[in-house]
Amino acid sequence: MTKEEVNGATEEEQQAQSKKALKKQQKEAEKAAKKAEKQAKLAAEQQSADEDDFAKDRYGLSAMVQSQQKLDRALVRVQDLTAEKVDQLIWLRARVHTSRAKGKQCFLVLRQQQFNVQALVAVGDRASKQMVKFVANITKESIVDMEAMVRKVEQKIESCSQQDVELHIERIFVISQAEPRLPLQLEDAVRPDGEGEEEGRATVNQDTRLDNRVIDLRTTTSQAIFRLQSGVCQLFRDTLTKKGFVEIQTPKIISAASEGGANVFTVSYFKSSAYLAQSPQLYKQMCICADFDKVFCVGPVFRAEDSNTHRHLTEFVGLDIEMAFNYHYHEVIDSITDTMVQIFKGLRDNFQTEIQTVNKQFPSEPFKFLEPTLRLEYTEAVAMLHEAGVEMGDEDDLSTPNEKLLGRLVKEKYDTDFYVLDKYPLAVRPFYTMPDPNNPKYSNSYDMFMRGEEILSGAQRVHDAQLLTERAQHHQIDLEKIKSYIDSFRFGAPPHGGGGIGLERVCMLYLGLHNVRQTSMFPRDPKRLTP
Amino acid sequence: MALRELASLEKYLGLKKPNKYSTQGDKKVPVMQNNNAPPLVGLVTIACHLVKESKRPELLGDSAEGRAVVQQWLEYRVTKLDSHAKEDIKSILKDLNLYLQDKVYLAGNQLTLADVLLYYGMHSIILDLTVQEKEQCVNVTRWFDHIQHQPGVRHHLPPVVVLRNRLYTSRHH
Repeated sequence: MTKEEVNGATEEEQQAQSKKALKKQQKEAEKAAKKAEKQAKLAAEQQSADEDDFAKDRYGLSAMVQSQQKLDRALVRVQDLTAEKVDQLIWLRARVHTSRAKGKQCFLVLRQQQFNVQALVAVGDRASKQMVKFVANITKESIVDMEAMVRKVEQKIESCSQQDVELHIERIFVISQAEPRLPLQLEDAVRPDGEGEEEGRATVNQDTRLDNRVIDLRTTTSQAIFRLQSGVCQLFRDTLTKKGFVEIQTPKIISAASEGGANVFTVSYFKSSAYLAQSPQLYKQMCICADFDKVFCVGPVFRAEDSNTHRHLTEFVGLDIEMAFNYHYHEVIDSITDTMVQIFKGLRDNFQTEIQTVNKQFPSEPFKFLEPTLRLEYTEAVAMLHEAGVEMGDEDDLSTPNEKLLGRLVKEKYDTDFYVLDKYPLAVRPFYTMPDPNNPKYSNSYDMFMRGEEILSGAQRVHDAQLLTERAQHHQIDLEKIKSYIDSFRFGAPPHGGGGIGLERVCMLYLGLHNVRQTSMFPRDPKRLTP
Repeated sequence: MALRELASLEKYLGLKKPNKYSTQGDKKVPVMQNNNAPPLVGLVTIACHLVKESKRPELLGDSAEGRAVVQQWLEYRVTKLDSHAKEDIKSILKDLNLYLQDKVYLAGNQLTLADVLLYYGMHSIILDLTVQEKEQCVNVTRWFDHIQHQPGVRHHLPPVVVLRNRLYTSRHH
């Protein structure tokens, strides 16, 4: 390039530069103008916001309830919000289950245990924009107090338990705010597994649930399961009390392992050690020898079994029965099966809502049972299994897969999910089981099954100190360790028998669930000690 | 294994004089000594020869299409079934179950060599299935039960128990 051209070029450049600079300046000016405008607008809005919030006292964060005052206010339960209450102004306290803001409206679903109801607030003469905004921002699971008008809806609200009404919010105050990030979403926790997979939505796996049990227990399914479990305990107590049984409490810190030394927890006991009871067996029997005739007890059972299966816990609740009988141990079986049938009937008649709620997430067939309860003999069961192609010896114990197959065969043949298997081979039972009087290979013992899984193991007990000593020796048990047990039969003992069931297992099988941890509030297994 | 099958096959076909067999190679391919001709090698080859000897050509198929299908299944037996790995069992059962959905026999409307050889080949698999698994591949089980009850077919193999009624309804463990 020549000098002139260069000069010319720079001149052009300069001109271009100044043009550019001009443009830049212009742009900056525009930007500044815009910013100023925006700020002015915001300020104006803020002003108007403060000015226009006519609903300021109808919403907000309540001060922490430290029992400052005694308000004479009746709070209505969500389950009572039916068509009867239409056009009434009511107060209620519930959790915010979900909230959805849509422009000038905000829809809330409020939840109380198994029940939920829709509520809405809309910008209008009762609610300001700020109020709707506040409601939309209330975090999930927060507990709110709300005054609302109950209104009828034309179309049933399918997603709520209260389908005929919705609430129009007048006043709403947050009593306890939840942190915005929940460890698990309740909607995910209630979603059936299949649906989760199909629609690609999340479900919550068991470990997460158990780690955050407090939140998981809030779901409708969990609420239903544990209400049903409470029902089982109550029916157990009521039925047995009506039959003349006495409830007893047995010690859980004991000096000798009752079921064998392998699966027992040792605790330090002052200068020595003791064990946590694996079952109330010994003490139930001692009560019978102490003339209580018919006893039952509800209490924890501790088994240090390193089994990580769907049906084993290290601590569970045992419902145990023991009774003296007159001439034949079938009197005991009849009493126990009748108790179980009464429990099943009670659940069927009084807990249908709970059963249906659980079935929504975990579908299963309703539980079937016969009256009187089906009782099969062990030899019959072995024959049924042989017919189905299973190879097993006549005196072998039933393996778990065989038990399950047998359950299926019985269901198919007799149409029942609950049955008793009587006369087990003596070799596979504990030493205190009474042998069969006619056939030394068998015993007066029985197991009860629900949906093909064992729930109760029981028998006529040996009530003669002499025979008991022989049987213990035969099983090579150290007689020193069970001396006080044998002694209790030396001063007149009635013939007796009984059995024990696991509360969690019974609930799991009645509802057709697949893991016992679902029916244990804070389950304990070899890998879990908290919460 | 293959030798016992061939012996059973001879019995089924009613051949009076048993032939002399040996095996070759580490896959134990059966070899049949032939009096005048060179020896026959291979399960399918020997089986087809035996059928022809017993003058029951219908066992190889009644039409051209039928014969082709029979050959197809005989090949399936030797290639897929005899050297199957554990993971293949599920796919084998699935394929067979789908195929047998609307058929009583594998080829055509009567028993053919394909049914017999496939029965021998599937026996060990079916024997190990649980009741639930058998119910899941219901067509295979039905076909298998039918073949094992055909007179004369099941010689050296124990019968597999197949239950009449379904134990497992659609939604269960």
